[in-house]
Amino acid sequence: MFETGVRQVRFAVGMVSGRRFSTANLASLVNDAVATIAEFGEPGADAQSLLGGPLPDPEERREFANRALRRTARRLAQRSPFYARRFAAADGDPAKIDVAALRAIPVTAKRDLIERPGDFQCTDVERYLSTRTTGTTGKPAEIWLSRYEMDLWAGFGALASVIRDELRTTDIMQVNVSSRAVAATHLAAATCRLTQTGCRLVGVLPPDDALDSLCDGGATVLSTYPSYLAELLNAARRRGLTADDFKLRRITVGGEVLSDRLAEAAGRTFGVARVEDVFSMTEVIPISGRTCSQGHLHIDLTSGHVELLDLVTGEPAAPGALGTVVITPYFPFRECMPVFRYDTRDIARCLPDEALDCELSGIPATSPILGKAGSLLETASGNVITPSKLVKAIESLPTEPWPARYLAEVEEGRLRLTLPEAAISGYGETAAVRHLAEAGVDADLIVVADDQAAQLRHTRSDLHETSFGAAQALIGA
Amino acid sequence: MHAVFAIPLWQQSLIQATIAMIAAFLVCSLALYYFRRVRLERPPIGTFNARDITILLAIILALPFLYAVLPSWAITCFLVVTFACSLSIGYRQVIRSQTVLWLIIGVLIGANIYEGHRMMGTVLGWQVWWLELDILVIGGAVAVANLYIQGGMRLKHVAYFALALAAYDVFSSLVINVTAVLVEEFVGQPLDPTFGFRFGAVNYGIGIGDLLIYALFAVACYKAYGKAASRVAIVLAVLLGGAAPSLCPLVIELIDFRNDILIPSQLFFAPVAFVAYLWMKRRYGRERTMGEYLASSDNIAPDSASAPAPAREPVSV
Repeated sequence: MFETGVRQVRFAVGMVSGRRFSTANLASLVNDAVATIAEFGEPGADAQSLLGGPLPDPEERREFANRALRRTARRLAQRSPFYARRFAAADGDPAKIDVAALRAIPVTAKRDLIERPGDFQCTDVERYLSTRTTGTTGKPAEIWLSRYEMDLWAGFGALASVIRDELRTTDIMQVNVSSRAVAATHLAAATCRLTQTGCRLVGVLPPDDALDSLCDGGATVLSTYPSYLAELLNAARRRGLTADDFKLRRITVGGEVLSDRLAEAAGRTFGVARVEDVFSMTEVIPISGRTCSQGHLHIDLTSGHVELLDLVTGEPAAPGALGTVVITPYFPFRECMPVFRYDTRDIARCLPDEALDCELSGIPATSPILGKAGSLLETASGNVITPSKLVKAIESLPTEPWPARYLAEVEEGRLRLTLPEAAISGYGETAAVRHLAEAGVDADLIVVADDQAAQLRHTRSDLHETSFGAAQALIGA
Repeated sequence: MHAVFAIPLWQQSLIQATIAMIAAFLVCSLALYYFRRVRLERPPIGTFNARDITILLAIILALPFLYAVLPSWAITCFLVVTFACSLSIGYRQVIRSQTVLWLIIGVLIGANIYEGHRMMGTVLGWQVWWLELDILVIGGAVAVANLYIQGGMRLKHVAYFALALAAYDVFSSLVINVTAVLVEEFVGQPLDPTFGFRFGAVNYGIGIGDLLIYALFAVACYKAYGKAASRVAIVLAVLLGGAAPSLCPLVIELIDFRNDILIPSQLFFAPVAFVAYLWMKRRYGRERTMGEYLASSDNIAPDSASAPAPAREPVSV
């Protein structure tokens, strides 16, 4: 207890000072947190404040962001060739940057990362591990990470997971994400090591293999993509599995749009109260967001600055308007290949300017991610169709076509939606059109054969990895 | 050659035994009463472990030497801070008004300092001073015992802690005579960390450290194994922690060079407490954690440990 007190003080000083954290101290603190849970069953009061939030006073929050932005900008101006040029070109003094002056610095696009990755690497940091975006929404970007970053993020993730009861020593976490998502899988394993949780990195295997692992392996936590969850759900239903066949207590998904209908069905079949939809992105690690019970997306504000910018003007989005999420991870949370004002092109809607009353109301929020900016469609009537609206409308069809496969285009001002045959099988085209219109998607429908379904829309579940058990045997050399 | 006392040795021993037994019983029962009904706040992360015992022992080992080198005003300041902290932490859940709480603490500590300087010329003055000090000592021991046990200290820790203190107690009392020097220096000083009373020309007392161990043992037994175990603990504390050391001068001559009778109480209590711990472990099995205790029907305290909901605010990005 005495040592833990000292560690907490060191940790708090690290949060305030903005200097690099001691990752060994953080790992010991996680150990202390695990021991605390073992003794008391829960952390003490105010445990959330240990994680640095929420900052309830808007003025305090703004001052915190100003300090962190200046600190980050100063370092980037000195150490990052890309940002040294960018700050100079914008005639911005990093020492004077604050939330208001931030808009003078142009946003960073994924294209910049792909074209000039070497320019983003800070000159005072040794590279340790490279990770790539999955590439489902375009050419993948490669991000280099330092050893410190990997230790730090695992430590923070583990501390948060223990304090929030997301991971227990009795848990086994099954991770069904692509093995190419190196940072995500490494962090999952490192986090589980710190929290003393069992970790099973399964990858995106054929769903039946993953289901076997879920049922027989006693997994209690599942981490995957919404589309792969849908495949698991289909396989479980096909095999007649019910909640009694699983020991799951939590399912977390991210990286794609999660529809209410899929979440509800998965929760029922796998026996969890709620499927948690989390936000994270390779380019802006370690910033993450959680979705509250009212469906708001609350992105962490202690390790990074979040903006929601109007798609047309680039100014802060007005209440009710769509905007692109722009994120600046702070130093010392990111040091090897940091980004500043990174435009994720993830679209969210700005919430009405009213007080929130959800369980995470102390953290600023937006709507959930509605899709990528490049996938927005506008009809002649001015109706903006987001990928989220399409996925939710299609996945709520009585045929339960999960994950939603579709192609949406606007032709002569009217939405044209292509669906595979199975999506309306037994329901009828007319009924489907009516159903979609009621869900806000007024479209002309085109139906194609099921073997074309995967070509209509790529999902992360398409990143299947074969296994000898599932793949056809090769004969001969 | 035997020492000669104004009051017969058997009479002194009986009075000392009575006072020590009362103190042991009071501190154990009040600590248990508190434990069952009051929940102390605890830090977000942290639970008592074996390394904390080592740190506590190091502090205890260092204290006598600190007392030896510090001037009396500095020692008084140190004791004021120690008592004020333990009482304010321990009783903020009991007396909700912080003003009233600090007023009570201030009056108790202030009165003791005043009496220590002004009222020690008469037996009645001594007795008032002792009574007032006894309240502080029992109150402090009850609070600290609960702070440790509710902070995750286990019966296993208490048993080993007592055993280590017993070894130190014997060494400091009988080998290097540090205890005798301290008692001589402290008696009548403000905030002397001793529970006691004066009859005639003789002061009788038992140190706060011993009382703390008894309270820790009783509460840890209750937390770990329930009522039956805590009854055993109280009996051991009263008989072996209170009576046995007080009555032992009737059998063994333990008179120091100042003609004081100084008995290392832990010598009698700690080994038996350790054996009792081993017996309970064998009989009842694994100790309950604090979480398991709180979930049991033994816990009748209102739930005061729940975290406050985060503040609501009108925010959007």
